Parts: sequence; C-alpha cells; structure tokens
Amino acid sequence: MIEKSVRIAVDIGGTFTDLQILDLASGAIHDFKSPSTPDDPSIGLINALTGAAQRFNFELGQIKMLLHGSTIATNAVLERKLPKGALITTEGFTDVLEIGRHMRHNVYSLKAEPRALLIPRERRFGVPERILADGSVETPLDLERIKVLGENLADDGVNAIAVMFLHAYRNPAHEQQAAEILSKISGLSVATSYEVSPEIREFERVSTTVLNALLKPVISGYLERVAERLKSAGVSAQLYLVQSNGGVASPAEAARLPVKLLLSGPAGGAMAMASFAQAHDIENMVGVDMGGTSSDVSVVLKGRVGETGEGAIDGLPVRLPMIEIRTIGAGGGSIAHTASNAMRVGPRSAGSMPGPASYQKGGTEPTVTDANLYLARIDPKAFLGGEMTLGKDAAETAIQSLAGELGISADHTAKGIVDVANTSMASAVRLSLFEKGADPSDFVLAPFGGAGGLHACAIAEELDIDRIIFPATASTLSARGILTSDLRHDLSFSELLLAGTGAIPTLQSIVTQLRDQAAALLDEDAVPPAQRRIMISVDCRYRGQAYEIMTPWPALSANNPVDQAAVAALVTKFHRLHKELYAHNAPEEPVEIVTVRASAIGLLDRPPEAPNTEQRSVVSESPERNRPISLRDGWHDTAVCHRSSIGTKQMSGPLLIEEDYSALLIETGWTIRALDDGSLMATRSLGDQT
Amino acid sequence: MTELDPVRQEVIRNALIAGAEEMNASIWRTARSTVVRETLDYSTALFDGNGQAVAQSTRIPIHLNSMSVCLEDIIAGPIPITDWNEGDVILTNDPYAGGQHLSDFVAFKPIFSEGRRIAISAAIVHHVDVGGGAPGSYFAGATEIYQEGLRLPPTKLVEAGKTNDAVINIIRRNSREPDKIGGDVHAQMACLDVGAAAIGRIAGRYGAKILETAMAAILDQSEQAMKKVITDLPDGTYSFKDLVDDDGQQALHLDVATSVEISGDRCKVDLSESADQAPGPVNCTLNMSKSAAYCALLSIGDGAVMANSGAYRPIEVICRPGSIANCNSPAPVANRMATGHRIVTTVLGALATAAPERVPAAYYGVSYVLTLQAPDPLIPDESRVYFEVEVGGWGGHPEGDGANGFSCGFHNLANSPLEMCEVLFPMTFTEYGFIPGSGGEGQHRGGLGLAREWRLNSDWGKVSGSFERFRHGPYGLAGGKPGAPGRFLHITKDATVELPSKISGVQLVSGDRIRLETSGGGGWGDPERRTPQARANDERAGYV
Repeated sequence: MIEKSVRIAVDIGGTFTDLQILDLASGAIHDFKSPSTPDDPSIGLINALTGAAQRFNFELGQIKMLLHGSTIATNAVLERKLPKGALITTEGFTDVLEIGRHMRHNVYSLKAEPRALLIPRERRFGVPERILADGSVETPLDLERIKVLGENLADDGVNAIAVMFLHAYRNPAHEQQAAEILSKISGLSVATSYEVSPEIREFERVSTTVLNALLKPVISGYLERVAERLKSAGVSAQLYLVQSNGGVASPAEAARLPVKLLLSGPAGGAMAMASFAQAHDIENMVGVDMGGTSSDVSVVLKGRVGETGEGAIDGLPVRLPMIEIRTIGAGGGSIAHTASNAMRVGPRSAGSMPGPASYQKGGTEPTVTDANLYLARIDPKAFLGGEMTLGKDAAETAIQSLAGELGISADHTAKGIVDVANTSMASAVRLSLFEKGADPSDFVLAPFGGAGGLHACAIAEELDIDRIIFPATASTLSARGILTSDLRHDLSFSELLLAGTGAIPTLQSIVTQLRDQAAALLDEDAVPPAQRRIMISVDCRYRGQAYEIMTPWPALSANNPVDQAAVAALVTKFHRLHKELYAHNAPEEPVEIVTVRASAIGLLDRPPEAPNTEQRSVVSESPERNRPISLRDGWHDTAVCHRSSIGTKQMSGPLLIEEDYSALLIETGWTIRALDDGSLMATRSLGDQT
Repeated sequence: MTELDPVRQEVIRNALIAGAEEMNASIWRTARSTVVRETLDYSTALFDGNGQAVAQSTRIPIHLNSMSVCLEDIIAGPIPITDWNEGDVILTNDPYAGGQHLSDFVAFKPIFSEGRRIAISAAIVHHVDVGGGAPGSYFAGATEIYQEGLRLPPTKLVEAGKTNDAVINIIRRNSREPDKIGGDVHAQMACLDVGAAAIGRIAGRYGAKILETAMAAILDQSEQAMKKVITDLPDGTYSFKDLVDDDGQQALHLDVATSVEISGDRCKVDLSESADQAPGPVNCTLNMSKSAAYCALLSIGDGAVMANSGAYRPIEVICRPGSIANCNSPAPVANRMATGHRIVTTVLGALATAAPERVPAAYYGVSYVLTLQAPDPLIPDESRVYFEVEVGGWGGHPEGDGANGFSCGFHNLANSPLEMCEVLFPMTFTEYGFIPGSGGEGQHRGGLGLAREWRLNSDWGKVSGSFERFRHGPYGLAGGKPGAPGRFLHITKDATVELPSKISGVQLVSGDRIRLETSGGGGWGDPERRTPQARANDERAGYV
C-alpha cells in the first residue's frame, strides 16, 4: 500500500506503455507495463495509470507528478502526419531549405537519392529585409509584405508558419516584428528561428525551425487531449514532457518548442544508463539498445552522458543540444542474404511486418532473430513474454536456404548471421567511442532492448570489454531513466569572438542576458532558488577550424563574473578538451568563441532509493533446467534459468537467463552476480576467451 | 577456425570498411581548414600489402579511385615496394608521379605484422593552398605545372618512425595558409595510424594470413561483381563525344571523345580521339582519366560493386600520350576536373546506347571551385583565402526528373554555410537559390542549377574561378534538351561584366558583386511526353 504521493514516469512505445512508479514516502520504485493505443496514445496512458493504481494500491489523485516520454513528435515526422506549412525567409534565400548541404550518401548511383523536404517551393516566401553578420540592419523588414503574406496564407488554410531570417541569432528584431504581425492574424501558429535555434549556420537553423513550426499544432493538440483525459480520470498531477536533452519541460514549454521532443525516444535509456553508472560508481559506460530494425548506441564518459549540439531525423537536421545517440541498421529483424558469394546481414530489415521468417507472417528470408531461434538462444514459446509463439521450422527453412546458397552448413550459417551482426554492432560502438578519443576497453557495456542481452558477451569480447551490466527492469528501462530527469531549458547565443581580454565586456553581457532568460524560465516553472542550477558552456574552436567543442565553464556556472581569470580558465579547458578529443592541441594559437550556452536546470527532488525487494525475491538459486544451446564453441547442454530465480550467488557461464521480454546469454568465461538494485554484473575472466 | 569462410570474410570486410571510416572520422576531427572540415574534400582507404585498394570510406569518387593508381606509379617508379619499411609514411602531390593536382596530397603508410608488410593505409586530402599563381592554387593562367605551386615528388615524410620536419616546413613556407596546411598535414598523418591500428586489431584477432586471404577474396568479389555488370551490357563498341568549353586561354571547344568496347566480361575505354593537350590547366594525366572511367562504370553498377582495385581489373583505360586525357609533363593540370567530369559524362553517354533504361542525361559535370583572397575582418593586416565548391542539376533519368542543385558524378562536396562565410570573410551574400528554367526540357526534366551571389565589403579582394559548361550545356538524352549553361558575373557600380569560366586574380573593390550561375542537368525523353501533372507541378513551384 502506498501511503502518500507518487511520481510516475511513463514511456509510450509502439507496443507497450511502460511505467515506473516512485513512492515519494518510501523511495520504493515499482514497474508496470500495459498495451499502447497507437491511434491515440493518451488512452493507453490513462489505462496504464489506472492499471498501476489498482496493482500497487494507490489513488489516481495521489499522483503528484507525471513525467511523460513519447515518440509522438518523432512518429509525426517519420509518417509525415504534419500540417501544411509555409516558410518566410530573407529574399533571395528561399531555396536554402531545399539545397541543404548538397552532399549525397549513395556515391555510385545514377539516380539521386530522395531528399527530405517538408515545405515545397511554392510555400516558401522571400521578403525584403537584411541583417548583416554583425547584427546591424542593412534593409529594414517590409512589414506590409508580411501582413499581406500572412493574410493570404490564413485564407489558404496554411496555418503553420516558420520564420527564419539570416543572422537572426545575432539580431532577432526582424523575426520578432514578423512574429508580432503574424500572430495577430487569426489561426496562424508561428515559429521563429531565434527562439527555436538561435545559432549560426542558416540551413541547420531553418531546418530546425520548420520542424518546430509543423510540430506545434500536432503537439498542442496531443497535450490538450492528455490534459482533458487526465482531468476526467481525476489525475491532478503536474505534467512534464521528456526532451531530447534528457531533461523535462512543462506542457506550455513543450507546446512552444515541440522540436525539443523530437529525438527524446532513446533519451530515457541513456539517462537510465547514466544513473546506473553513478549508482555503481562506473565512470565509463556504453549502452547498446538493440531493437527490431536498428540499434542505438549511447555513451557515458567520465560519469556524463554524451551530448551533441545536432542530430537528424530522416535526413532533416535538428540543431539543439541533445543526448548523443548513434543509430545503426542492425537489429533483430535485419535480413541475412548473399552478395558475391559472401554473407551480408542488413541493412534491409523485415521490421515487424512481415517480420522474421519465424513470425510466420509472410517473411521468408532469415533474420538475426531467426538465427537466435535456430541456435536455441530464444525459446519459441517465451517470445515477447509469451505473447507470440515463434515458428522454429520456418526459421530453419529460411536458414537452410541461405546455407545452400553459401555452400556451408545451416549451423554455420545461423552462427554466421549472429557473428556478422555482432561485429557490425561492435564496429559502431568502437566508432562512437573513437570519435570521443576513448578506448572501448575502459568501458562497461550495458545492453538493453529486446535483443541486446543475447549479443552482449560477443560484442564485449569483440571490443575487449571485460564487464557487462544487465540492468534490472530492462524492459521498462527507458521509463526508469525518465524518472531521474530534471527540468531543463537550453539557451544559446552565437557571436564570433576571439577569446581574450577584449571579449570580456561582450561575454559578460551575453552571459547576463542568458542568465536572465534562464531565471525567467525557471520562474515560470516555479522552481525554488535552492533547486536551480544554471550551467554555462561555450562552443570554442581554434581559429580556422569550422566545428566547435562544447566547453563547460565551471567558473561561470558558479555564478562568477566574466574576468580575465575566467576567460583564461575557459581557454585552458578548451586546449585540454581538444587534446583529449583530438589527440593534439595548439596552446599558442588563438581560440575563437562561436556560441555561448546556458542550461537552466530545475532539480526535481527525489527521496533516497529504497532497495528493490521485488527483484530480489529469491525463488531458487539453482538453474531450473537444461537445454541444448549453440554457444560460441558449438552446441552444449546449457543451464537455463529465469531471471527472477537468480539469487545472490555468483554463477558462471555458459548460462541462458530468460526474462519476461528478453533473454541474456552468458558465454563461457563470464561470471555473473546480482547487484543491490537487481542488475546483474557480468565479468570476464581473462585468459578464457575464444 | 583458421580458414576463411563466407562469414569470416564478411566480418573482416566490415572491419576493414569500419577502419577506413575511423580514418575518415579522424581527419574530420583533427583538420583545420574549411576545405576539409566544411567542404569535406578528403578520402581514406585501406590497401593490401601489395598496394591493391581493398576498402574505402564513402566519400569522393575521384579521390577514392585515384589512390590505387597513384600507388601503382610510386611502386613502379621512385619508391619500389621493397623500400617501404616499417614506420615509413610516403607523401606526394605530383600529378606526374601518380598524383592528381598539386592541391591534393596523397599519403601512404605501410603496415607490418611480424616483420611482414600486410597492408597499407592511405589518405588523400585537398589542401587549401599550395602556392602558385593564384590563392587556392587554381591559377587559370598557368601554362606549365611549375606555375601551379609546390610540387612534391614521392617522398618519405616519415622514415622508420622519424618525421622529416624539413618537408613540413617546406610545405608551410610555400603556402598562403601555413597554419592550416600544417595542421591538415598532421591530421592526414594521424589518420594513417588509425588505419594501422584497425589493421593491427584485425590481424591480431584472426591472424595476418587470414586477413590477407580475406583481402584477396574481397578483391576477387569486386572483380566478379564488376564483370557481371559488364557482362550484362550487350557486346559492342559505343562512342560518344562531349566538349570542354576552353582551357581558359586560347584553346576552345576541346573534344573529349570516348569509345567504350564491351566484350564479354571486359571493358576497354579508349580516349585517344580526344583533343591534344591544352596550353591551359584543363589537362588530365592518364591516372585521372582512369579514375573518371572507373567512377562511370561503378555508377553503371549502381552501388552493387564494392569500389576497390578488384573492380578495376576488368577495365582497361587507354589514351594516346599528348592528349588532353593523357597529358605529358609539364602541362598544367590544376583545373583537371573540367576534363575529368567530361570523361565521366562521355563514358556514360556511350553506355546510354548499351543500357538506355539506366543512364540519365548529363549532370552539370564540373566542380565549381571559387576562391577569394581578402583582408581578414578580425585580424588587421592579414588576409584569408575563402574556398567554395558548388554544384548544379542532375540529368533527367529514364525513371524521373533530375535532382536540383545536388552533388553528382565525379565529386561529392558540401557547400559552405553562408552565415559562417559572412562572419569569417568580408562578404555579404545577396542570393543563394535555384535558377528557374535551367533544367533541360524533357519527359523527365533536368535538375536546376544554382545561383550564388555575394558582395565584397573590404577595400580589396582577388577572385579566382575554375568552372566549365559555360559554352556547352549538359547534353540531353532520348530527345531531351540540354541543360542551361552557367555564367560568372562581375557586377560593379557601373557595369556587369561576364567573366570567362576559368580566370584568376580578378580585382574587386568594395561594393562589387560576384555572381556564379551553375548549369542545370540535361533533359531525358521527348518534352512533348511530359505529363500535365509534372508541368503543373513545375509551374506551381516555379521550377520553370
């Protein structure tokens, strides 16, 4: 029985709506899962809350805070369920959105790859105005033209308007004037680039602004529906939305800047990793979330989850601070086939329709899932919590047919499919770490997602990683990460400056302005002073470089003024980061400042976590049964047990651990033990490898 | 397992590609100049121990397919493979010793295992300025390679682990941008070690012998795949002729005449009927011509063939010496892309007869390289070199319209962000957009060319352009019309001057504007057969 109030994190996926319920009095955490309702996800949300309230015996009115993660914005873009939009921009530059950076991915193709474009040429309008690189106005904005344009668009039923003028990040006056005029016209919803992504580089800014403009009506509509349903269900909780940066935002803020939700899907998992890393004193951790069609790699380096200033969705740049995720086209549904007498796996995927051959929904080509089934690493009756029975014969037929083409045995083929998938995932992990100047062998691997646990040992061995952490509640992991979120607003200001004494007055005024904005936003969220953190960082580079390093500025984050010592500390920090990331630096060379950033954080209080008793309810310490499973070195009669039956005892591979929604394969040479929070730590004894 | 099977082979193939990609990431991370960092003008590859290119990063066709021929020339000439020792790095930019043009430095590092050379890592990088008669080293007035900048024969930049700093000092001293070229050379050297580490990992895990067997098998696979592409084309000899506008000096309408002979699984490309080598810098060495022909044939394969030395085996490229496609020293070559792109479009044009359902009309077919030298807005008394590469429209395709303003064919480069250019250089852009009506008419319209126009804000500036397709628009196919040719305008207070396509050192004063218009792609099919919907779409979007 939960006595007082609860905080709930919800992650709405395509199949399941996952909850993590935090009892604010005891610190105990419970998890819950119920089916999603993709047509209107808010229905599934209410169902899940109701179900959890019954299961854990609390009243819906006791929910104090609801942290909401979803892929609604993502799906709206991927499925192009977006309203008709228009772009108003500087005259002469209406095609910037369509030209993009004009590089192709398919180098040897005679047919151009399709380029994603959300606003066609006939709805992109140039207006007379020009602001120069220093922020000065060369040509004033033609206000009359804006008014006429806005009225015509409203008449034509085009309601989502993006406004992007050159150098608006330096001087937003024209965008502000345009927005003021447009917002007075009934029915128009406006997004301006200085509000969405106030940073230099016009294409990335206009792309992000257009996405925001088109998502505004989508997200506003959803939030209204959610508010209504929550109200009628008797939920009075404060609602917050998960953003791509791993923090949460109020519904008002999310409705204003919905583009910040766009890449939030994998953020929960990454946040969970960061919190595991902290809880277990692990400095460096790399997460591999292996799903059906793709896998997401995220990195915790020196206790911090990796962030980046830019991502992309469907080829459309999204320039906002966000958790850095590398997505690769290898998942359970990746199809194995032949090319020039060799085996290839992916990038084609069977997805969920028709799905792997063993789904028996029309797929005939073997996938990674089929290979795992063939190798008896998956129990055909226990797939997806027993919701689906897999067809072992169908998998075998598909694999045998490929084996025939390759002239090798079916066994060899099935293992080969898994080997190829593992090595390409390992390569992606290596590249993700390499880009940060890090060595994989300094990392702990954290596999999650439906298929991650079966591949973890092999990927770790490929990368010389000796420790794997299998998180508790892996199937609601993303919700677990969301539960650790705080409120967060990211602000920025671009101005090119040489980092030195001369820049002090300008820097001071930029920082003051950012701090004021940050304070105003935290005021809106009613965050008490003691719960506020404003972190300042600066994007720096050597003069001549074209890309920047986000350099934290601790002195300024501690609310110090900008002075000579602070600037010197920033420059020193940049030199050091440059060396860490790029293996060399040039302390004698001038450093340029491109963008100053502020992250305004409102800490959400959490009670100390109570030990997870549910996970540790020991049933039996001995393996439940054995079955023949194909391991790294061939078929062996292998112990199989359910995760809930693992006690505190250390156990050694080979061992297959089944969970409700996935399975973990512990190869020979690996030993596991349970940690306090119910996670399993696997370690490799050296000298016992392949 | 000790022998190679289809699985292990794929695992090693993936690891080699990943190694080339890591090298790529390494250069991008560490380079200094905008030409590398924003324009992305560099490529990386891993070779086997004998100098056969095995795995390449997905970047720029011209680069990728030129490194192996460069290496062949070095081994056959100045530095035999037996002299490639552990800890060496070999560097060259000499077009007459296997290189491209002087701006492109190619570097190789042999990789050893148990005292045996098992692989070579390689990188080619376009350096921002190597001296010569014009900033950015595109000197339109050159009549000899000696006027085009620093020429470095194949040289051991590093010997047995010890860097020859004198070479780096010489390179720096000969450049208008010493810090950038110095930084970029270091980035290029560092990436070779990244490649060596990747090879070391693979050899350590599977054994050097298996790695070597796998590399040989990967080459054989590509050879087989390319042979299949060729076999699928009907036997016969197909010819096509296209024109290079001029050499920027006195030679006009230069023929690039190609005959492609398909015979079973072999293909012979003969460029001998092409014009004599030109006085101006539009000449290609045979290596550049080979690279262009390989690129065209790999495109016919539509990505099905993994590009490496195996894929080149069934292809023979010949040309009489002294021709524009096989020039003799000391012909200048800085603007070799003018002819190189034309070799691609003629090989494709020839094969349009053999595979009419696959080959599109001509793309813009030129790398529009523009450079500006002007005072630095942030540092008094210093000047900086601005460098950009633009693109145009794709040709209409049997299955659809050509893409508007998109990298195609022989190169693959990003544009420079306008706002960043305006902050770093004394320039203000006045337009960047498509040119309506520039795509060749056809059942499937050619893609549109681009207009890029800016104004100079400083007291002085010097502009150079290295362009093409001002006189002869990209050809149409199957009844489609040619794309509109490009233009280069110098707009002053008093007049608008149409500049030639290849020019250097145009003096600008404050307020002058420079406008580049790139060409659209050729159209495909009879324009009468264009559907009313497609026409309405064009009207609505203002593409025509």
